[in-house]
Amino acid sequence: MELDDIVSKYPPRQIMLIPIAIIAIALISLGVTYLGTGSPVHLGIEFTGGTLVTVPATESEDAVAAEFAGYPLSDIRNVGSRYMLQFGPMSDSDYAQLAKQINSKYDNAEIRYMGPIYSQELQAQAIKYLPISFLLMAIVVFLVFREPIVSLLVVISALADILIAAASMNLTGVQLSLGTVAALLMLIGYSVDTDILLSMRVLKRKGIVEEKIIGAMGTGFTMTGTTIAAVFSLIVVSNFLYLIIPSFTRMDVIADMSTVLIFGLAADVFNTWITNAQGLRWYMNRPKKAARGQRR
Amino acid sequence: MSLASELFKDRRVVLYVAAVALAIIFIGFFGLKFGLDLEGGSYLQLQLQGAVAQVDVSPEEILKVQFNATAVEKHADSYVVTVAGQVPATLPDDLGYSGAKMVERENTTKVTIVASPETVITNYLKKSLDADVKIVGVAPVQYEIRTNVTRDSLNLLLAPVGGRVPQGQDAFVEGVTPDTVDETKKVLDSKLNRLGLQDIKVRIVGNKFNLIDLAGMDVATAQDVVGKPGKFEIRIQTEDNQSVHVLYGDAVESVDIPRGDRNGGWGVPFVLSEEGAKIFQKAAMDAGAIKNPDAHPISMYLDKDEIFSAPLAAELAGSLEKAPVRNMEARVGAGDAGSQKAKELYIHLREGALPVNVQVVGSGQVSAALGKQFKIQMVIAGIIALLAVAFMIFYRYREPRIVLPMVTTSFSEVVMMLGIWALAGWRLDLASLAGIITVIDTGVDQLVIITDELMRGGEAASSTAERSIKERAAAAAEKAGLKVAPASSKVYLSRLSRAFSIILGAAATTAVAMLPLLYMGFGALTGFALIIILGVILGVAIARPAYGRIIGYILAES
Repeated sequence: MELDDIVSKYPPRQIMLIPIAIIAIALISLGVTYLGTGSPVHLGIEFTGGTLVTVPATESEDAVAAEFAGYPLSDIRNVGSRYMLQFGPMSDSDYAQLAKQINSKYDNAEIRYMGPIYSQELQAQAIKYLPISFLLMAIVVFLVFREPIVSLLVVISALADILIAAASMNLTGVQLSLGTVAALLMLIGYSVDTDILLSMRVLKRKGIVEEKIIGAMGTGFTMTGTTIAAVFSLIVVSNFLYLIIPSFTRMDVIADMSTVLIFGLAADVFNTWITNAQGLRWYMNRPKKAARGQRR
Repeated sequence: MSLASELFKDRRVVLYVAAVALAIIFIGFFGLKFGLDLEGGSYLQLQLQGAVAQVDVSPEEILKVQFNATAVEKHADSYVVTVAGQVPATLPDDLGYSGAKMVERENTTKVTIVASPETVITNYLKKSLDADVKIVGVAPVQYEIRTNVTRDSLNLLLAPVGGRVPQGQDAFVEGVTPDTVDETKKVLDSKLNRLGLQDIKVRIVGNKFNLIDLAGMDVATAQDVVGKPGKFEIRIQTEDNQSVHVLYGDAVESVDIPRGDRNGGWGVPFVLSEEGAKIFQKAAMDAGAIKNPDAHPISMYLDKDEIFSAPLAAELAGSLEKAPVRNMEARVGAGDAGSQKAKELYIHLREGALPVNVQVVGSGQVSAALGKQFKIQMVIAGIIALLAVAFMIFYRYREPRIVLPMVTTSFSEVVMMLGIWALAGWRLDLASLAGIITVIDTGVDQLVIITDELMRGGEAASSTAERSIKERAAAAAEKAGLKVAPASSKVYLSRLSRAFSIILGAAATTAVAMLPLLYMGFGALTGFALIIILGVILGVAIARPAYGRIIGYILAES
């Protein structure tokens, strides 16, 4: 296995340049988006405000667009037996009128209206809660290991996962929604699982660091493998099932969530077995430390 | 000896089996409830507009400006306002000072108002904002303003009377008091219940938001229902059991917060429109209620339900004989019971009108058919995810005796979660179902950690040098056909505890990272976060210890 070689043969410092470069690229991507839009990721309708409507696709897109021409219609998309219409901000009375019109015309309409106060509140919450979540995770990690360097490595790996997942949102055009915020929060808790496994194995078992890392890899890959399998099935069901079974529709929330998760998980494989593992190699094999792996 | 009978001696396994059995009973007995997005219906997210503020202002200055007075004197519990020329007879009433005494002498009028400084300030704010204002704090006195105001707009309002909001964060806080939030919820609850709507849930988020779920209703109707006032009517008894219509709710201009009098009696003040007051006076005269109040009680109805009935008070009857009266009070009795009744009547009198201004910040609807389809899609997603996970495990271990317990354990964790949801009556929404899939996955991950720790631990310990005497004795005994339960082995236990130190760390990080989601997004992701947090806790506390034992036996057998 190639990864085995990377993990054990090359000196840690050299390998560490790769994650540093990738994190830098992620930061640049987030920074460029920030300069362009005022936020590090593209904000979805929940964060900008507006109205989201899905109706059964019984006629052509143009006909539907014409039907709602009187409203600030900003986007219309086919999402598998249904159209998804996106409206910009409108007055309360317009919205009430729109809702009535939709319900009189269509049987199974889905409507979601997000006012300016709602989206502002949501933005404020996201800015507040993402760091809190991260901080809580970091505190737990420090309590578990009680080793500043080891804990720091885990936290850095998790941070890199989040940054890469966020940057991948910019690449794939996934916007920040409630679902994707949930996915990012999940990644915070989820991505440290393998890091904890790795660090515990390296710290608490006897033996050579490199062997312990490779040993932990077997378990870690199975864990990430099952997760990726589960997330992948979510991607398939939410994104593509409607192509096979025509009566089904795309489930946006689940689709966005799973896209972010899959990128986050891929980043996690990299950060656990390169970033974190090499960090541990460097730390455990420091020249001064005579009795390696003999802690606690 | 059989595996089952051996296992059932273990406390953890017994606890686990009991928990799963209990969960199945709960699900069967209580059934599962699904959220709005899966059942169909609509939701409204309302922001309660308001602020709690302190104000620096002199009551004398307010009265001076309001009455265009030359002088204002403060007495013990009243103010005497001196005005050059005449004062319109209705002015004190209009400003909220009913019962003010006016004495006109030599081109000046002296108006005596019985009011505390706070009442004067409250009345001024009410009048200028056309909204309810309530005194909520003492030292410093705070006013709850039940409409959309900012610090700046309030300052602007106070400028003509030389007042302002003091500096400091505490002096102006956006949002209303918990009491008011609760009251708004009660108004909505009572209103929706009386409309006979089933399954309505009004939830409070923070001190600012009310969330309403209305099953089986589209969003346009929902907004109408919440915005539409109930039908309020005042009737008067004529003879025996006959009563005639006097006024409808449109004649009630405003309703004030219940207040207690000096004798401990409670009442709800309300104001009739000018026209309404005339009609009321005429009806009272025609019915003979002024001469004989007790025989002709006044009743109030809301959507045909009687909510209040009492005769005219003697002094009111006296006043009505002379002129129409606009300011009235519905008195309900004394003590705590009276206070409670007054609160209910207040809600009813204001039916349709919420205690605070609200703004719809978000709303939406999902049709029942679409919800059902989402449900089916999520169940399919769940099954596919479980199969995919099972396949990955099989790919790794190639051993059905490991895969089967693993998948079963993971699935049983889901059953336990559903049992809790059934027992608590919580609703499963789309996000919760996504959470369940996540629980399956975190669960399996942790089972993998346990399995690997036990198996690999076995490899490591197989070098005879490291074996303890006890271990060797156990191995010898095993060879002799005396199987010693692996659970008694010290090495096994130490491996299991090592596995659990990893699992606990992983579980704790997952749970704490989810905590903020309980509060985020107006409760949209509460179900998702809750199911993951509880799933992680239940898994670590019940399912995984049992799995550790079971897999231990299985590994020892093979």
